[in-house]
Formats: sequence, C-alpha cells, structure tokens
Amino acid sequence: MKPLLPLSRRELLKTAAASSLAGLAWPVSSQQAMAQSKTLSVFAPRPPDPAPPGAAKFSEAAFAEWQKANDSSVSYDLVPWPELHDKMATTFASGEHVWDVVYMSGWVPEFAKFLTPFSAKLSKELVDDLPKSSFATVTWGGETSGVVFTLSLLTLFHNTELLQKAGFKEAPKTWDELKAAAKETTRDGQFGWVLNYGEPAGIGGTASYWMCFLQQAGGKLYNDDATPAFNNDAGRAALQMMIDLMPYTDPGSISYVGINDATNVMTAGKAAMMMNWPFMWKPANDPAASKIVGKLAGALLPAGPAGTASIDGTDAWTITKTSKDPDLAIKLIEFYLDKEVQKRQAIDTGWLPIRLSILSDPEVQSALPNAAVVLEQAKHPYDSYVTPDYNEVTVAIGTEINKALAGKSNAKDALAEAESLVSAIVKKRS
Amino acid sequence: MVLALALFVLLTMAPFVWLLLSSFLEQKALISTPPDLSLASFTLANYREVISSAAQLAKGIRNSLIISGFTTCLALLLGAPAAYALARLNVKNKDLLLLLILAAQMFPAIVIVIPLFIAASKLGLIDTRTNLILVYLSFNLPVVIWVLRGFFYSLPSGLERAARIDGATTIQTFRWIILPISLPPLFAAASFAFIEAWNEFFLALIMTRQNAQTVPLVISSFAGQYQTIFGQMMAAAAISIAPIMLLTFLLRTTILRGFADGLLKG
Amino acid sequence: MLAAAHAGRRSILQPQRAAQLFLLPSIVVLLLLLAIPVLYSIWLSLTDANLSAGRLDTPFVGLENYSNLLQDKAVHNALLNTLYFTVVEVGGVLLLGLSTALLLNHPLGRWSGFRVLLLLPWAIAPVANAVLWKWIYHANYGVLNAILKSLGVIDSNVTWLGEPFRALNMLLIVDIWKSTPFIAILLLAALQNIPRSLYRAARMDGASAWQSFRYITLPSLKIPLAIAAILQTIWSLRTFDLIFVLTKGGPADGTVVMNFLAYRVTFNFLKFGYGASIANLIFLTSLLLAIAYMRLLKPVGRR
Repeated sequence: MKPLLPLSRRELLKTAAASSLAGLAWPVSSQQAMAQSKTLSVFAPRPPDPAPPGAAKFSEAAFAEWQKANDSSVSYDLVPWPELHDKMATTFASGEHVWDVVYMSGWVPEFAKFLTPFSAKLSKELVDDLPKSSFATVTWGGETSGVVFTLSLLTLFHNTELLQKAGFKEAPKTWDELKAAAKETTRDGQFGWVLNYGEPAGIGGTASYWMCFLQQAGGKLYNDDATPAFNNDAGRAALQMMIDLMPYTDPGSISYVGINDATNVMTAGKAAMMMNWPFMWKPANDPAASKIVGKLAGALLPAGPAGTASIDGTDAWTITKTSKDPDLAIKLIEFYLDKEVQKRQAIDTGWLPIRLSILSDPEVQSALPNAAVVLEQAKHPYDSYVTPDYNEVTVAIGTEINKALAGKSNAKDALAEAESLVSAIVKKRS
Repeated sequence: MVLALALFVLLTMAPFVWLLLSSFLEQKALISTPPDLSLASFTLANYREVISSAAQLAKGIRNSLIISGFTTCLALLLGAPAAYALARLNVKNKDLLLLLILAAQMFPAIVIVIPLFIAASKLGLIDTRTNLILVYLSFNLPVVIWVLRGFFYSLPSGLERAARIDGATTIQTFRWIILPISLPPLFAAASFAFIEAWNEFFLALIMTRQNAQTVPLVISSFAGQYQTIFGQMMAAAAISIAPIMLLTFLLRTTILRGFADGLLKG
Repeated sequence: MLAAAHAGRRSILQPQRAAQLFLLPSIVVLLLLLAIPVLYSIWLSLTDANLSAGRLDTPFVGLENYSNLLQDKAVHNALLNTLYFTVVEVGGVLLLGLSTALLLNHPLGRWSGFRVLLLLPWAIAPVANAVLWKWIYHANYGVLNAILKSLGVIDSNVTWLGEPFRALNMLLIVDIWKSTPFIAILLLAALQNIPRSLYRAARMDGASAWQSFRYITLPSLKIPLAIAAILQTIWSLRTFDLIFVLTKGGPADGTVVMNFLAYRVTFNFLKFGYGASIANLIFLTSLLLAIAYMRLLKPVGRR
C-alpha cells in the first residue's frame, strides 16, 4: 500500500517532535538572560483577592520606580486563592527554593520553620504605625515571621433599607437585638442572616465564625497548656446563639462553601445581615454586580455577654528561609507597607490598610466608610487561634458545628465531641 | 422515540444553554431570584474582560494547544510501536506488561505530584511546557497503548507473513503496512489523549507558575476566595471549549470507528 | 539498516530485536515517570512524613499508617461514601450509556449532530463544569430551583447540597452527566458492529423487539459492558474536582470519598505519610479491578 505522503507519518512526527523540543528550549534560555539583575519572586493570590501592587492595579508607577531604584526585578507568581495552600505545601515539601516573599493567611504557624523571622528588622516608624495585636497571628514559637498588610476583621454588614422597613433604625448591638432584628427581617423569601457554614476548615470557615461568638461570650479556644478550653458555658452559649439564628438564616447557608456564595445572597437584597470581611464593601457597591448599591452599612459585631469580638483574616507577607536576599525582600515588604502604597491599596482595590495613620486618613475614610468600623472593631479582642494543625482542628470543630446547625446534633453534644477530637489532635502536637 | 430523542437533547444541552446564557449576563442578573433574563441584563462585558490581556486566556489556549498537541504526538510516537509489539510480536511477559501499563493511569495525582515536582525542579523544568508535555505522558501513553493494541490485535494475521515474503523487515512492515491502515484508531487514541491533556488541572497547577499556564488554570482564576464573577468564568469556559468541539466535530466518524475496534477486541 | 545488518538471520532474530526497540522507549518513559513516584509513595506511607522541622521529615513507622487506616472513623465513612458513589455512578452511567447508544443506533437517531451533542459534556473542562453546577444548585439563586419553582414542582427553595445524602446524589447527577458520553460512544460503536442480518433473521422467525434485545443485543454487548464497567469504576475512584468545588466534603463529611480524604489528609493536614497510605489503598483497589478486567477479556481469542 502506497503511503499518502512522501514522508512516512513517523518521520513527520519525529521532525515535529524534534523541532518542538528545540523551540521549547527558548523560554528556558531567555529566563537565564533575565537573571542578570537581582530578582525577587513573590507568591500571592490573584486579584480581586488581596494582591500586591503590580499584580493588582494600584501604585504601579511607584512599583516600577522601586524596582529601578533597588536594581531588581520582581516577578509575581499569582494563583487563585483556594489553590495557594496546596501549591505552598508541595513546594515547601520539595525543599526547592522557588519564592522569596510569600503571602500567608493563617498558615504562618504551619510553615513557621520555612520562614525567616524578620520583624525585628522592620523600621521603627513602621512598627509603631501598626496595631500591636496584628503580630499575634504571625508569631509562633516566639518568632515573628510575617507582617500583616491589611486590616481584615469580620464586622457586621447590614442592609439599612431592610432593617428600616422592619422598624430598626440602627444595627443590632447585642445578641438579643441581633436575634430580634433577624426575626423581623425574615419574611417573603428574604432572610435576616446568611453565612457560609459549608466549609468547616480555616479562617472564614464554620469553626472560625463560631470563634467570634466564643470570644463574645468570654470564652477562648485553648488553655495555657494548649488543651481545649471551649467545652463550657461560653462555648455552648456561642454555638447556641448560632443555632437560635437558624430559623432566620437562609437555609442554603448549610451548603455554602465559599463566602462569595453568601455575599451574593446579600448583594441580591435577599438577606439583611451577615458577617463579612472589609473587602465586601467594593462588590456590594458595584452596579453591575449588586442590587443594594448605597444600602449597605458596616457595624461592630453584636456584643455577647463579654462584649464584642471578631477574628483576624491575617493576610500577611512572609519571607522564606531559602531566600538568597532577605534584606532586599524586607525592603520590598516595607515598600508594600509604605504610607502612599497603603493608601492606594485601600482606595483603588478596597483592601483596608494596616497602618493606623492611613486608617484614620480622611480620604480613606470617605472612600471606604467601613474603615472606621473596622478600626473600632480592632479595639476589641480578635483572636483567630492559629496553630500548625489549624486545618485539622477547624475541620473537627467545624464539622460538629455544621451538624448542630443542621439540627443533627445539639450544642452540648457537638462541643463535647469536638473537644474529644481536638484533644486527640493536640496530643500529637510536639 | 421522538420523545426519547427530545429528552436526550434536553438533558445533554440544558446545562450548556445555561453556561452560554450566563456568559452574557451581568452578575446582578445571575444572583437575582429568579435569574433576571430581561434584555437589559445582557452584556458583552464578560467576554471583553476575558479576552483582554489581563485574563491571559489567549496565552492559556496557546500553551494548552502546544502542550496537548505535543504530548499527543509523543504518546503516539512511543505508544504505537509499543502497542504493535504487544499485539503482534513475540514479547515475554506480555500480560504483566499490559497490566502494568493499565495500572499506570490509575494513580490519583496527589500520589505522584511531590516526587515529580522535585525532579522537575532539579532539572529546571518548572513552569515550562516541556515539563507538562512529558508529565502528561504518564496518563496518555497507557491509554494510547491500550487502544492501539486492541486494534492491532484484531488485524488479519496474514499481513506480516505476506510482508515477510516480499522481503520486508519488521520495522518496514510496521511503517508501510500496519500504520497506513490504522488511521481511525490512531486518531481515536489521539483525541482521547488530547482532550484529557487539555482538561488536566492538578498537575498543571503545581508544576507551572506564570509562563506555562494552561486553559483550566486560566478558567479557575476567575473563582476567587472573596468574589467570583460567574459570567466571566463561563465566558472563559465557552471560549476554551471551542477548539475541542471543532476537533471532535471534524473527527466524529473516525473516532467512532476507532473506539469500536480499539477497546473491545481485547 | 537493520535489514542489511541481519541479512542472514533475519527471520529468527529480527522480530525480537524489533519488538524490544518498539517497546523500550515506552517502558522507559513510563518507568521514569511513574515507577519512581509510586515507589516513593509506598515508602512515604511507611513513614510519618511531616514538615514540622522545616523540611520533609520522614521518620519510619512501619505499618502504623495502615493500622490507623483500619481504625479511623473518617476512613470508614469515606469507604462507605465511595462504595455508594462508585456503584451508583457505574450503574447509572452504564444504564444511561446503553439507553443513549440504543437511541442513537435507531434509524431516527442516526443524525451525526446527535453524536456531536453527546460529546459536549465530555469536552467541558472539569473545573468550569464544577462551578457551573455549583451555581445551578445554589439554594438561593440557582437556576434549578428557579425552574422547578416556575414549573410548580416545588414551593420553596431546596437546599440541594444541604443534606449529606442528598448532596452525594446531586454530585452523582453531575458526574453521571459528564461521564456518560464516553461510555455511550463505546457502546454505540459496539452496537454498530452487530450484523444486521441477525436482527432480520430474528424478525423473520417472529421475535419481538424485546426478545431481539435480550437474545441478540445483550449477549453481543457482554464484553463491552464489562469493559465500560471497569473503566468507569477506575475513573469513579478518582473523582475530585466536583467535591472540591461543590461541597468540600460536606455537609458534615457526607461527600468525603477516599480520593478526597487522601487529598485532605495530604494537603490540608500535611500528613504526607498517612495520605500516601490512603492513596495507595485507592491504587490497590483499582489494580485488583484491572486484574478482573483482564480476566474478563481473556476468553476473547484471535479470530
């Protein structure tokens, strides 16, 4: 049988493969050429999740200038937020040096041994302008290995129109007021409360929401010897509060795994209140995405028996131990925390600054009215209780809470079971 | 019968219709209950945003085309002769080899990702297309071998004898006689390998950074933690399906014939 | 080339040399790509690998991971979920696939456009597919609730993913939708290989449609159905994207299957050793099924 082409198929494939391999060598060699000036590699989430200048659209000119002034080029490795942790874990486990600066959100204790403690080298001016407690979540084993760059605490977002229609002139200030407001605003396919209770793990998961209520009830997660301290009246009261809200909560909340699933219900005008991160302000006021433009307001989380309390989103910059130029990395982080850059971060992208001076800047406050609320919330406790086994602990607690909220368990049993699970986990902590 | 066909079309197409519709809708319309399908909500903004350079969809498609194309070619280059050997030539431990080859594509990606990452990193191959082309062979090659082996096995046994009488060597027989009549299963195996490589996510996530991003990664970049613009993601998905649909449309009859012979005759 | 070099001993040595030449590259590539990671995974499962020391520490613990596996409630839960999920998915895909194949084999269904339509669910990227269905299933603004409400089938929104068992079934619907096309094509091709004359002869003998199906179609499809079953089982054991995007294993671990558990233990808890042992269990299951596959194919000899 005569072949269709003068060349046999195999020869064709062979030449194609050979030339392609030659062509693919290109990117490798051009990367080598670029390695002349100092390079820093930064691992961060993709915008609109908190991203640095140059990755997100703010302070781009200042960023270019910084690179020139420091004779370095900064390359960004951006990944959707949900995939950050997986990629980080694989890279650290492999022992390869890939990044100099790494974004962390509650994972500093987990990866503490891979990071360089550098906060002692930050300029005094900067450290004085930061809330002291912001260093709590990036400190482990006595070493502070990161610096938070955005004040991200949970606060109460509410739909002023829906509340007013139900007879409430202001946001609820206490647990009882919250229950009453939720009850009155639940009718006709609209609910008083919505949240994502579907994902047990991490900061922003079911367990972490309960931790807000736990602190508001005067409780804490661990004793000084790291044993669980939450299976008591405070813990039960906190969980009971969430259970009591369930009749006025969007039933889908049990199944929402991401905060945006819940945010969308609120921006559609179908829920009156929710806890959310400061970033919510922007999408809620975007006319293409929101039906409640101008109707959203922020307030302190309602106070429990012990007052109001929240949790910290802990978006922080860290430096890897394998970085070849940690001093340059520190300079880069100081640039990210520069006054002007922080201001633009707030106004252009909606992520609040961490610098106290910029938080009280009138321009920032008028562009982001909820900045004042978050600043006020920061004066009250906000512990996220991060530990190296945070994922394991929150999965254990969050799953039990989810069961209680779904009516499959009650506050007493759920917390008792959670306590025994967490005790087992803590025992393995070295 | 007509009812059954109508049901088939409905069930197959319904999610797609929603995918396409949403890609033209504003976020506001999608979160309304019921979804707001009034004319005012329709927009091209999603497609505009996705096609613009920030979204990097074009780069993703280019990378995916190159990666899927070359991994498929390599899989054919390596797999066709191997399949022929296992089907028609005298090989020891044939069954064991076949089992191992099938077993190769059973691994959850989490099992192989860390050692592969270490190896790729040491070779300087992280974030290159070459890396993914080679790594995807791990699940493409077994499938190609299995599909082609089945087909070669079912060819008439007299072919080699006739060729040998004419003085042809094994290699010549393979190249000039067997291959030319194997177009359907070759294309079938190639299509399977191409689509699986095109859609692969986890290994691409771990092994690439900014340069070698593939289409599934670009699509997933529209799902943030704090916000997901659903319409944009659907627009990206719609655009990225187009090359595959084109491919499968052009090859539909050959794929059909190829699979019949490849997997069934053992 | 080889021909000239082996002029005298061509008929004896050459086929074997050629066979090795043909096989070797593939074997080498597969060995390089997979043998080492697999051996690494087996070794890892015999350790308590962790990152607490600033690198991947691998203290040897023997079979401790496997004995923990057997006692772990989470593993039992995942095994049950996996069993249910796999059996229902394979059954569903086979049933739907066969029905679709029969439909498209019928004179009315012969239009090639139907075949192209059939490929749509297979072609869509799993990531986009998962997000698409997440929004379709959304309890508040999902289009499924909207359609069912407008048709009067339900009065108020159903939280599709809010109950463990219900969520598992909703995931099954999506995965069956996505997996049926490939199997349908497989069975369709097999159907088209059955000689028409058999059906004609049966009709002339007075057989009903059901009898034709039962005594001609089904026996001819025995092996393709078995192959479809085993391939689909192997793929069902690897389900991941759907669970990750839609439920993250919830509610209350109701949709945690073995593969997802392996992921959670490895990447969320960073217990690489234990995760490897779970993944090895999955692999072992697939391997045993593959052996079953090969046994089933053995009786089909050369024509």
